[in-house]
Amino acid sequence: MTNEQAVADIINLSEGDSSLANEIRELGGEELLECIQCAKCAAACPLALAGFSFFNKRVIQAVLMGLRDALLDDSSIWACQSCNRCTEICPREVNPFEIIQAMRRVAIREFALPTLSIEGLKSLYDTGHAVYLAGAGNTRNKVGLPEKPPSTVANPEALKELQAILRKTALAELGIIPMEEPGV
Amino acid sequence: MLYGRIILPDVHLRYPLQGELAGLLFISLCRGGDIVPRIGVYICHCGENIAGAVNVEEVRKYAEQLPGVVLARNYLFMCSDPGQELIKQDIRNGLIDRVVVAACTPRTHEPIFRKAVEDGGLNKYLLEMANIRDQDSWPHWQDKEGATEKAKKLVASAVAKATYLEPLEDRFVEVTRASLVVGGGVSGMFAALDLANMGYKVYLVEKNPSVGGNMAKLDKTFPTNDCSACILTPIMVQVGTHPNIELLTYSEVESVEGSVGNFKVKVRKKQTYIDWDKCTGCGDCVNACPAKVPNEFNEGMNNRKAIYIEFPQAVPKRAVVDIEHCLNCAKRVMGTQPRIHSKTGEPILAPCEKACKTGACDRSRAYNPEGELIELNVGTIIIATGYKVMDKEPFKEYSPQSPNVITAMQLERILSATGPTDGQLKRPSDGEKPKTIAFISCVGSRDKRFHTYCSKVCCMYMLKEARLIKEKYPNINIYIFFIDVRTGGKDFEEYYNYCRNLGIRMLRGRVGAVDELPGDRLRVRAFDVDLGAPVELEADLVVLATAIEPAPALEELGRKMGITCGSEGFLKELHTKLYPVETSVKGIYIAGCAQGPKDIPESVSQARAASSAAAVPLTLGKVIVEPLISEVNQRKCSGCGTCVQLCPYSAISLVEDKGKLHSKIDEALCAGCGICAAACPSGVITLHGFTNTQIFAQIKALAS
Repeated sequence: MTNEQAVADIINLSEGDSSLANEIRELGGEELLECIQCAKCAAACPLALAGFSFFNKRVIQAVLMGLRDALLDDSSIWACQSCNRCTEICPREVNPFEIIQAMRRVAIREFALPTLSIEGLKSLYDTGHAVYLAGAGNTRNKVGLPEKPPSTVANPEALKELQAILRKTALAELGIIPMEEPGV
Repeated sequence: MLYGRIILPDVHLRYPLQGELAGLLFISLCRGGDIVPRIGVYICHCGENIAGAVNVEEVRKYAEQLPGVVLARNYLFMCSDPGQELIKQDIRNGLIDRVVVAACTPRTHEPIFRKAVEDGGLNKYLLEMANIRDQDSWPHWQDKEGATEKAKKLVASAVAKATYLEPLEDRFVEVTRASLVVGGGVSGMFAALDLANMGYKVYLVEKNPSVGGNMAKLDKTFPTNDCSACILTPIMVQVGTHPNIELLTYSEVESVEGSVGNFKVKVRKKQTYIDWDKCTGCGDCVNACPAKVPNEFNEGMNNRKAIYIEFPQAVPKRAVVDIEHCLNCAKRVMGTQPRIHSKTGEPILAPCEKACKTGACDRSRAYNPEGELIELNVGTIIIATGYKVMDKEPFKEYSPQSPNVITAMQLERILSATGPTDGQLKRPSDGEKPKTIAFISCVGSRDKRFHTYCSKVCCMYMLKEARLIKEKYPNINIYIFFIDVRTGGKDFEEYYNYCRNLGIRMLRGRVGAVDELPGDRLRVRAFDVDLGAPVELEADLVVLATAIEPAPALEELGRKMGITCGSEGFLKELHTKLYPVETSVKGIYIAGCAQGPKDIPESVSQARAASSAAAVPLTLGKVIVEPLISEVNQRKCSGCGTCVQLCPYSAISLVEDKGKLHSKIDEALCAGCGICAAACPSGVITLHGFTNTQIFAQIKALAS
């Protein structure tokens, strides 16, 4: 949903899904109902600065009004930079970042996530990095760094452990990315 | 005859002189003899309040050379102890015998400076104030030069008047140790109880048949959710049984005369058409009555009878006949004898009469439809006439024609166990329990078409009603459309948080329209400011938080007592911060929503403050009355009677002396308004403290 559409469309509150608020609270946004929409979080949010339709404050209001479809049709929540400024400054300890994370959990259960996010997840499983520049080895060499970073990339055992952990998460049940056990 | 007491520094004389003559002789003594008026001028900086706009030093220099002025000083705060000390010392040192203080308003500060003048050893009425703050520096803040020039004029004018000031003596008036409280709501009842508990006789006048007021209609009260009736009923019973309280319900104030200490109040006891001495409040007559009248107590949502008891907990629990709606069953018009049954020989009675076991309901009696006019003598009066809530009719955009669009007060009655649905949550159109309820705030408040003020209690009562419903029926969807949530007050914000946590949905954005849809459904249209999008909602019940308005005829009551209303229609207090329960009329106080929208805790606080203020004159037993009153030179009075007609306080009468009529002013009643002095065709009425000589001197100084 772009900004223009957000203005033009009339939101029908009667079609609101009253179960959404409870779902968000169960998935990590426990303090949802403490929000009084003061907009302090929005003042610090990169999403709001970049012009996304649903930044922290609006995500919360939309959740409170049960606007599940509007949130799922929009990709704003996936653009959250996890800077956590909102959580630091919220005067009511709502933890808006966690509410965005909880909304991502809701979205992923509905397979409502952008391709880029699927690629990120796949990369996380395969390399341990959501974004990994495989072709950066030469550049690293030039500046005197080892070709592979000292992470799961350079340490196959650690990667296996990470993958084992990921297979125990809800991600495995959803089957969004292939998560075979290596060598099986 | 007034004895003008002339007090000069070190010389105290007593001359039996009349009116202005005394003052003039005093002045001629001053002028003709060695003694000339010696005026001291004191100019206050009032911190930056005056000095920020007025060049105080320039004004001081100017004042110094005015005729009669022997010294002029300036000081940072004249009202401070050192400031007052300047005046006292100058008087004690024999430097001055008149004082002009150029500072703020005499309304708050004249008593302080009068006291200083008196402590210094002068008659306290030898003081004049020039208000160079409220009337100069504040309004002319942007024009410093102009403000300084105006200050000079005001000082010159005060000095000119001071030249002709005469010493005056305070009068004392005996106080009638009783009080009148108008209005029997929670404010009026607390005011009455406090005064009664202090030992004073209290007359409590209430226009309805029972005390209780609006609070009696409420189901629960925020922020503690106490049952309103449970906390109010004991207070009503105390009021009804207190030996010092004379309860006058179903009565209205007709006229008020007199002044602090001695008010004469005429109260009309409306005709009840029932002998209240015999009525036991059993309700048998009510059950027998076939007439149906919209029930005011239930906000018109069901019917009462033409003979009725206002509500179950009514105090006094007595029936009244609403004569306009009485059907006169069996042709039993009030005051007529019953027809006799041709066969049985028994009189044919109306059902109410037949049902009454005590004989209280007797339609043969010749009742006076005008009721009874009684006169009360009281020393002080408290007005606590409360408020009325706006009805929904004016708000065409919210489909007021729909029975399912109701006011919050109507919802209050629906929620109440004594209401039209016995406390069951049923919507008016079909008695169904609503699934979705929308509350709309600021209906008629913060709205230039109706009331520009905030009604103050709506945010909290909407939250309260929503909470009561949500706690009982968690599955009902509740939306509150608001502009700002205003929950200032002890424990109020916590109450609001609690409501949010119950899942009551708060939506910022004034509702633009409520549309009627087929099948008793309502569509609410608004703009959610937080989402930045228009929204609509289908609701089964829409609740309008309509504004609190002044009680009907409040302005008229104010006029009877000489108290003005503000532009918003509520009675005006003397000073918003410092004298919130006093009015411009001494001895008359205000409490509760008659003064402006308030919640119950505030109303009770103000009522108890008003009762303690109203007890002060009663406790003193006498009150000081300023001698700034009018006096007639009876020898020169032609007896034309012009002043008699004009006096708003009925203080002037024509008396015969040696075959000649002349007017006489009752000192106790005169309020010193000056109308008579201005109107007297012979110019023989003097208003002390504002004599013609003094006023003309002021005008001359201002115009020069």
